[in-house]
Amino acid sequence: MTAARADDQSADDPSAVGAGMEPPHRGSVLAQAVELSRRSIRTSFRNMAAFIPGLVFPLMLAAVYSAQFSRALALPGFPKVDSFLDFIVPASILQSVSFGATAAGAELALDIEGGFFDRLVSSPVARVTILIGRLAGSAVEALVKSIIVLIVFFVFGARVDGGVGAVIVLLVASVLLALAIGAVGLLLAIRTGSQEAVNATFPLVFVTLFVSSAFFPTELMTGWYQAVAQNNPITWIIDPLRRLVIEGWSWSDAGLAIGLPGALAVLTMAAAVLGLQRKMASR
Amino acid sequence: MSAAIAPSVPVGGAATAVRLIWRLSVRGMLRIARRPSLIIPTLIMPVFLLVSFSGSFSGLGGLQGYGTDNVYNWMTAYAVLQGVSFAGVGAAGMTAEDMENGFYDRLLLVPGGRLPLLLGPIGYSLLRSLIPTTMVLLVAYTLGSADVAGGVAGVAMVYLGAFGVATAFACLGLFAVFILKSMRALLAIQVPIFMITFLSIGQVPLSFQTGWLHAVSRINPITPVLTMMRQGFLGPVTWADSWPGLVALLALVGFFGIGAWVMLRRMAP
Amino acid sequence: MTQPIVAEALVRRFGDLTAVDGVDLHVDEGEVFAFLGPNGAGKSTVVRMLVTLLRPTEGSARVAGFDVVTEAAAVRRSIGVALQDAAIDPMMTGNELLLLQSVMHGLPRSAARVRGPELLERVGLTAAGDRRVGTYSGGMRRRLDLALSLIHEPRVLFLDEPTTGLDPTSRQSLWEEVRRLNDEGTTVFLTTQYLEEADQLAGRLAIIDGGRIVREGAPGTLKEAIGSPTLRIDTPDSHRDSAAEVLARFGEPRPCREGRVAIGLAGGAGGMAEVVRALDEAGIPLDHLELDAPSLDDVFADATGRRLEGAE
Repeated sequence: MTAARADDQSADDPSAVGAGMEPPHRGSVLAQAVELSRRSIRTSFRNMAAFIPGLVFPLMLAAVYSAQFSRALALPGFPKVDSFLDFIVPASILQSVSFGATAAGAELALDIEGGFFDRLVSSPVARVTILIGRLAGSAVEALVKSIIVLIVFFVFGARVDGGVGAVIVLLVASVLLALAIGAVGLLLAIRTGSQEAVNATFPLVFVTLFVSSAFFPTELMTGWYQAVAQNNPITWIIDPLRRLVIEGWSWSDAGLAIGLPGALAVLTMAAAVLGLQRKMASR
Repeated sequence: MSAAIAPSVPVGGAATAVRLIWRLSVRGMLRIARRPSLIIPTLIMPVFLLVSFSGSFSGLGGLQGYGTDNVYNWMTAYAVLQGVSFAGVGAAGMTAEDMENGFYDRLLLVPGGRLPLLLGPIGYSLLRSLIPTTMVLLVAYTLGSADVAGGVAGVAMVYLGAFGVATAFACLGLFAVFILKSMRALLAIQVPIFMITFLSIGQVPLSFQTGWLHAVSRINPITPVLTMMRQGFLGPVTWADSWPGLVALLALVGFFGIGAWVMLRRMAP
Repeated sequence: MTQPIVAEALVRRFGDLTAVDGVDLHVDEGEVFAFLGPNGAGKSTVVRMLVTLLRPTEGSARVAGFDVVTEAAAVRRSIGVALQDAAIDPMMTGNELLLLQSVMHGLPRSAARVRGPELLERVGLTAAGDRRVGTYSGGMRRRLDLALSLIHEPRVLFLDEPTTGLDPTSRQSLWEEVRRLNDEGTTVFLTTQYLEEADQLAGRLAIIDGGRIVREGAPGTLKEAIGSPTLRIDTPDSHRDSAAEVLARFGEPRPCREGRVAIGLAGGAGGMAEVVRALDEAGIPLDHLELDAPSLDDVFADATGRRLEGAE
């Protein structure tokens, strides 16, 4: 962490880049974004203590649920599916991705607490690249985790009926969701500047995932709980993803599964950028 | 200065020990009141687990052999189990914190025996386990319309199981803390405690489970404990559903309790 | 009456490291005995053995007449202990801690109810009794720690670096309290890395360095044994060697801070004029010159060849 910071600081030193009077031109924005992204990617993989549980816990949950809910497949209203393992594929991937998705925000908060952020914004680095750089790490981490989870599922006999197309949609959707959650974390970091506040959102992500169709179909829920689960955006993402896994390819499901998290990601990232601009303006 | 107290004269050994155990237990409860974040594992998590397990898996009630058509009847014991597991870990957490900030030296200077240093934190986990147990029961009865088929005896079994599990996990936690002497002990016990509570009949009966899970949860000592705690929601309390759980609890408490006591004596002869 | 603290050939090893290497101690009833030494000299290790928190590797010790290993509980009953850094639970209030401490020592409830407020008043914390310790200043914490260690009216009181990190005012008030306790008959064993603290409080002291006692006695006696006062001068680097040569004619060199020259002025203060003249004749410019009566620092330097950190 410290080492990464030291070399980034020299690269972003205002005097090294120039007087900082002019806005940066296109090429340097890209270079800066790449450099800041590399920094955040390195950070997320170095933090194995957070990476491993994000893989092990969802896989463990999937293993136990598959071994205890096989009878539930016979319930009227349960989607037609070969095994509970197939049913839980999207849930496990999204759960794995949600672990550590707020890390980008937590790291940004740490930068704000530690003062490195002030150096960055006072340098000619385009402000948006600060956020892009942060999220790049989350996106790559999400992609790697989704691929690992999928491979484990395949080893244990899961089948994705939608084929390669469905697998790609699963990976894209999980990366987009990681970006959306990550951007919420960034927004919180910008607004509060407190790592603790950002970390406190993790249980919220956990709860949101639980009160959805992730682990059991909403058709089999009742009352207010069903109403909450059916109106949970996670359910809107999980359901089309699941149809791609257990029913087969469909353009409309693919569109929903990518469109929803994509829209969420765009909205939350826009909010984060606006938040950053307002923070700058109020300086 | 009041000269009434003659130094170096012990005042009632056993009575002093009991008072000290009580003070240490109450001290733990004061921490909950003063550290708002502790309300999450103490109260919010267990209630959330009850509501979300029951809500998400309410369809299970429609299956033959589940034992009840209201999933709350099944999940209440499991949510209580989770809550009191946190309470047990909390006893270890308090002790580890004392060691890290040095206050534990003052406790080690207690003139009497070392037993209060073990029983005090256990007392705290018992007092604390009253909160999740009672709250989960209340939510199950009000929000979940859980049955009271087993009546007072059924509720008593929930509390008995809760106290037993809290004691056993407190002992396990203290065992680890007396070895590692830091908060790292909490990380070390979290995984085994999660596994032993998760790989059991927490969410579905043994007959629903297949393969490796069936094999593991059949020999898991937490399984008979859950049977004992749950029986009052499924029907009347019976001796057949009670004694295996009691034996399992005695074995767990005895095993971890002796381990903790040995490590305490090794650390502080 | 047996001596309240007796240690014979105490040794404590941690793996390959010998923290305490054969310490003998004899502290008399009603004494204030100070253990003076730098960080890491073994002071705290000795205290922890004497108060039963640590077992000696070799040797034996008796405190308040009881063996620290075989009669540890009786030792704990007879002593009061305030350990380094006043490590007390920040989540509790002063009153709660006093109650807990009184229960630990088996005080009846009625006695505890009188004793707690009495002690708080004694250390000037009555108004803060219901506040959490986390809100206390460093000085308040030390005073509360002292009050806690007094709850059972111990005959022997151990204070491990009681004023480290405190401001001068807080330090003064703690010293006064220690003196008061001693006047009332309490034997006090304290460790310190402050010369002044040992000088002010101790009837007798031991200097510990590298796990061994290198000097022991009353502060006055130890200083007298050094004899001559210390003369220190500052001079530009280029003249330092010649200055040392000149000064060597007037007394033995003494250790001092880098960049200075110091001797024990054999002829006493009366010889100063001569020294200045000799330096002048040798053409040595003086930036600074001072003459100090022998101090505990000189005693320490004489015994160890080093100055105590932060001294001079």
